[in-house]
Amino acid sequence: MGLIDQAVDAFETEINNLKLNVKDAVEAMDYEYSGSLYDTVLTTKLGKVVGWAQKNALWPATFGLACCAIEMMAMANSRWDAARFGAEVFRASPRQADLMIVSGRVSQKMAPILKQIYDQMPEPKWVISMGACASCGGVFNNYSIVQGVDRVVPVDVYVPGCPPGPEALLYGVIKLQEKIMMEAGTDKAKKRVA
Amino acid sequence: MTSEEIVEKIKAGLAEKIQDTALPQGDAVVFVEPESLPAVAEFLKNDADLKFDYLSDVRGVDYLLEEREPRFEAVYQLYSIDHQHSIRVRVGIDEDNPTVPTVSNLWKGALYPEQELFDMFGINVEGHPRMERLIMPKDWEGFPLRKDYPLTTETVAFSHNRDFKSELVKSKPQTR
Amino acid sequence: MSVTDQGLLERDKDTMTLNMGPQHPSTHGVFRVILEMDGEVVKTAEPEIGYLHTGIEKTSENKRYVHVIPMTDRLDYLNPPGNNLAFCLSTEKLLGVNIPDRAKALRVIMCELSRIASHLVWLGTHALDIGAMTVFLYCWREREMILDLNEEISGVRMMTSYIRVGGVAKDATRPWLDGIRDFIEYFPAKVDEYERLLTKNPIWLDRTEGVGAFTREEAINWSLSGPALRASGVNWDIRKSQPYSGYENYNFDIPVYNNGDIFDRYRVRVEEMRQSRNIIKQALENLPGGPYKDPDNKVSLPPRETLHTSMEALIHHFKLVSEGISVPAGETYVPIEGARGEVGFYIVSDGTNVPARVKLRAPSFMAIPGMCKMMEGCYIADVVGIIGSIDIVMGEVDR
Repeated sequence: MGLIDQAVDAFETEINNLKLNVKDAVEAMDYEYSGSLYDTVLTTKLGKVVGWAQKNALWPATFGLACCAIEMMAMANSRWDAARFGAEVFRASPRQADLMIVSGRVSQKMAPILKQIYDQMPEPKWVISMGACASCGGVFNNYSIVQGVDRVVPVDVYVPGCPPGPEALLYGVIKLQEKIMMEAGTDKAKKRVA
Repeated sequence: MTSEEIVEKIKAGLAEKIQDTALPQGDAVVFVEPESLPAVAEFLKNDADLKFDYLSDVRGVDYLLEEREPRFEAVYQLYSIDHQHSIRVRVGIDEDNPTVPTVSNLWKGALYPEQELFDMFGINVEGHPRMERLIMPKDWEGFPLRKDYPLTTETVAFSHNRDFKSELVKSKPQTR
Repeated sequence: MSVTDQGLLERDKDTMTLNMGPQHPSTHGVFRVILEMDGEVVKTAEPEIGYLHTGIEKTSENKRYVHVIPMTDRLDYLNPPGNNLAFCLSTEKLLGVNIPDRAKALRVIMCELSRIASHLVWLGTHALDIGAMTVFLYCWREREMILDLNEEISGVRMMTSYIRVGGVAKDATRPWLDGIRDFIEYFPAKVDEYERLLTKNPIWLDRTEGVGAFTREEAINWSLSGPALRASGVNWDIRKSQPYSGYENYNFDIPVYNNGDIFDRYRVRVEEMRQSRNIIKQALENLPGGPYKDPDNKVSLPPRETLHTSMEALIHHFKLVSEGISVPAGETYVPIEGARGEVGFYIVSDGTNVPARVKLRAPSFMAIPGMCKMMEGCYIADVVGIIGSIDIVMGEVDR
């Protein structure tokens, strides 16, 4: 008998012992908690779990443009407390953020930079267009303002108002969470990271 | 000093350099030609009684629609911190060769608004260290605050003109 | 770096160019500055603005006077009533209308409330830049109270458009006045609280004392205004030197300090919050009765209830709403003291109901070259402190 066969034998015995142990343990557990196994285990798609994790940890980029940025700061503060929805971790670097809140009017000079910041964000990423100016140009229909940030980057949620209150922005975040959950596990969610 | 006294003092000190004076709504206003602006500015700043040591603002105005000569105007608002009085200097600028000498050697605060004069009205400021675009992108064409520059509004689609709206949506640039 | 013959490291004469902004958490908006660094010391600072250019001045030349007021809110979005007031004062000077005393007092209350709110945002973000997070949360707690008062009187939290040509938009309501009374009782203790956190804090002092200092002559020459000018020892406040809207009737002090550094600008603004609170208190105690807008219906809308009974009121209402106010030809400029310094609108009218030229004198815009001058010779870490101490708002820089 070679050394290898000895080792294989020992390994098999070990595994048999383990199996017996597990069997004993499962039988004991069945006996103790009979029926409760089905209450504690959920089955779901992996995509849904990932989506669930993503929606509860939206990290916005610190990207304030104009008036709306002040209300965005108010949203992160203690009274409105965006932490309740996991969206309070404002990241200074776009590389660490997955949500861009376009808070204010986008000028022709700013648009390429906005696009660059969007491109720098890792996928999957979402965009909230906050306020009338970012959504459609607002009252500033003139030579210098881009008439809607959706001409530069794809927008997921539009929040109306001039400026929208923090509660409106929070509602926008909640709507975005619903959207993420709805897309989770589908082809749309796959496209986001493609 | 009251506005009347300021105007009298300037008339006495700089009779040949200024074009006209006025007192609209009680403000002291002096009209100056671009060539004599440096001399006037130096007098206003250094005269012991006037001592306008604070430049509040420089604005450009385009009088194209009023059909008057000259077309452009640069307006300088000056204060004296010690004497607590103010004056407005209006400098008419020709349409063909819009040029005005700089006052940034006297008041450093004039650097930015003078650059804005060039950016928004295309008025050349002679002697300014940095005559280039300030607010608009570097490759922008035209001078936005001139009256002949269009506001460039875009047509907005409302829900009552559905066909037009769907056309606009079709012609919208692709985002993704 | 290169190695010399003795094996020692020798610094090159080269400098490094460092870009800061326009997306940077501490530049207070989309401000960009290109720094030429010699090691950790700033050699030159080249500002780059225009990323928020909105074309408000050009748009104003295509709108009626009344329609310009909401756009002035969006210029300096931390101090909207100040901008409304500046625009209305210039227009009223051309129109030659008299404002009732009650409207003047309401305007003063609104402007001082917004000055406090603006300074609270400044203090919170400035402290956050330098590393004090708690102050940020505290300041926003008090700011929310002012925003609630704004919402009560005008329906909006920030962009009130409360001050109109000829008076104010609506009379003071009882909950608003009660709310202000509660607020001015509550507020002084909170200012003391901020000061307890910062004024003697050694970290705060190390980061602010002697940093970004400007002498009196420099501050005047570079056209700084407002708190930055007063921190350099210049006793210049438009509320005192050219009183408007009845400021000559109130008893208040102008805080002036002499060092001109970040710390003195901080002290000036903190003291200004207390003085603003005193002005509000006096205005509330002596709030005059009478109309809240000019009774002349050529300028301000007639009361709603008279439209059903008076033909004349109906005509005035129709004319004002459909045509707007026609302002006599001329040009004028009325400065006011905003939260950041001298704010004023230079208005040129050609006699029609649309202004021919509207130009904002923006304190932040005028302060930017001086601010970049201050940065020269500072450490890189102090750059954010200097930007915060000038308290720039990009909305009014780029307009």
